[in-house]
Amino acid sequence: MIQPQTHLNVADNSGARQLMCIRIIGASNRRYAHIGDVIVAVIKEAIPNTPLEKSEVIRAVIVRTCKELKRDNGMILRYDDNAAVVIDQEGNPKGTRIFGAIARELRQLNFTKIVSLAPEVL
Amino acid sequence: MAVSTMLSITGTGAGNPFTGEFRPLGLFESKFYERPRKPYSSSCMNGHHFPRHKCIWRLPSNRNLNSKSKDSSLVLATGKENVSEDTDDMYDELFNKYGKVVFRRKDQKPQSAEVDDDAESLSFAVELANVASQVKAADIKVLFVKPLVYWTRFFIITTAFSRPQIDAIGSKIRDLAEKKYGRVPSGDTKPNSWTLLDFGDVVVHIFLPPQRAFYNLEEFYANATPIELPFENQPPFRG
Repeated sequence: MIQPQTHLNVADNSGARQLMCIRIIGASNRRYAHIGDVIVAVIKEAIPNTPLEKSEVIRAVIVRTCKELKRDNGMILRYDDNAAVVIDQEGNPKGTRIFGAIARELRQLNFTKIVSLAPEVL
Repeated sequence: MAVSTMLSITGTGAGNPFTGEFRPLGLFESKFYERPRKPYSSSCMNGHHFPRHKCIWRLPSNRNLNSKSKDSSLVLATGKENVSEDTDDMYDELFNKYGKVVFRRKDQKPQSAEVDDDAESLSFAVELANVASQVKAADIKVLFVKPLVYWTRFFIITTAFSRPQIDAIGSKIRDLAEKKYGRVPSGDTKPNSWTLLDFGDVVVHIFLPPQRAFYNLEEFYANATPIELPFENQPPFRG
C-alpha cells in the first residue's frame, strides 16, 4: 500500500537510495499503489557521483511491498520492505541490475525487462 | 478423528511419480497446503529436517494432538502408537531411495514432454534468430536459460543499429511468429532502445549498441548454454 509521502527503498544500482512517492500513475484519484504499479517519486537520498541526484523527480515501478500480495492459488507474498526500481519514460530500467527477490506478477504487467535483470523471481 | 490424506510426491532426480499415503492424526484441511514452487523445492527438505512452514503435517498443533490422543484415547492407539517414529522411518526410506523429496504440482509434465517442449522452443528460437539475421541484426546470441530461471527457456539477444532497424526486426519476428506458429508476443510494441518481445518460452531482446553494452545481459546470463546457430558459420557477404 504505497501512497504519496511513502518512503521506498531502491532495488537497483541506479544510484538512488531512497525514494518518496509523490503520485500514483494510472487513475485520477487513486489511493494506494501495489506491486507492479508505476509511481512518480522524488529521490530523497542518492549515492554520490551517480547520474541520479537528490530531489530529482523520477518514475519507478514498485517491486516489493510490506502489504501482502495474494495470488489466486492461495499463495500470499509479503516482503520486509517497500522497494521500487527506477525506470525512464520508455519503461527501461535506469540501473543495470536488480537486487533481491521480485514477484512474477511483474512479467504479466509487461515489466519483463526488470524480471530479466532480477536475480530471483518468486 | 484421524484423517488420511493422499499426497503425491515425486522424486527430483528420477522424475517417476509415486504416491505415498500418510496418516497424520488430527484434522487439517488441504487448503492449508502450500505447495512449494520450484525455487523453494531444493531448500524444502535438507536431509531429515522439515521446515515447519513447508511441511504442514509436522505442525506443532498436530503434534500436540498426537500426544493428547496418545494419552487420552485407546481407540486411536491401535496401530497408531508411534505415528511420528513410523513416519520418520518412512521418510528415511524415501530419502534413501529418492534423495531430496519435493512436492510437485499435479499439472506438471513428465520428463519426456518437457524435452519435447524444449526442442520445440529451440526450433522456434533458432527460427526467430534466423529471421533477425536476415534483417541484418548483428551479434545474435541464443542462450538456453532454463536451468537458471524458471520463467522462460530461451533468450535471444541481438543488436540493431537504429530504431527503424529495431522496428524492422521486431515486425519481422512478430509476423513469422503469428503466421507460422500463431503466437503473439507481449512486451514492447513501439521500437525502443531496448525492445523486448516475450513469447513465453522465448524472450527476444533487441538492443541498440550502447544499451547492449550498458545492460550487459550476456554477462548476467554467462552461465547459460549458448546455442550454435546455423547461419553463424557462413562467410560474411562482401560486395
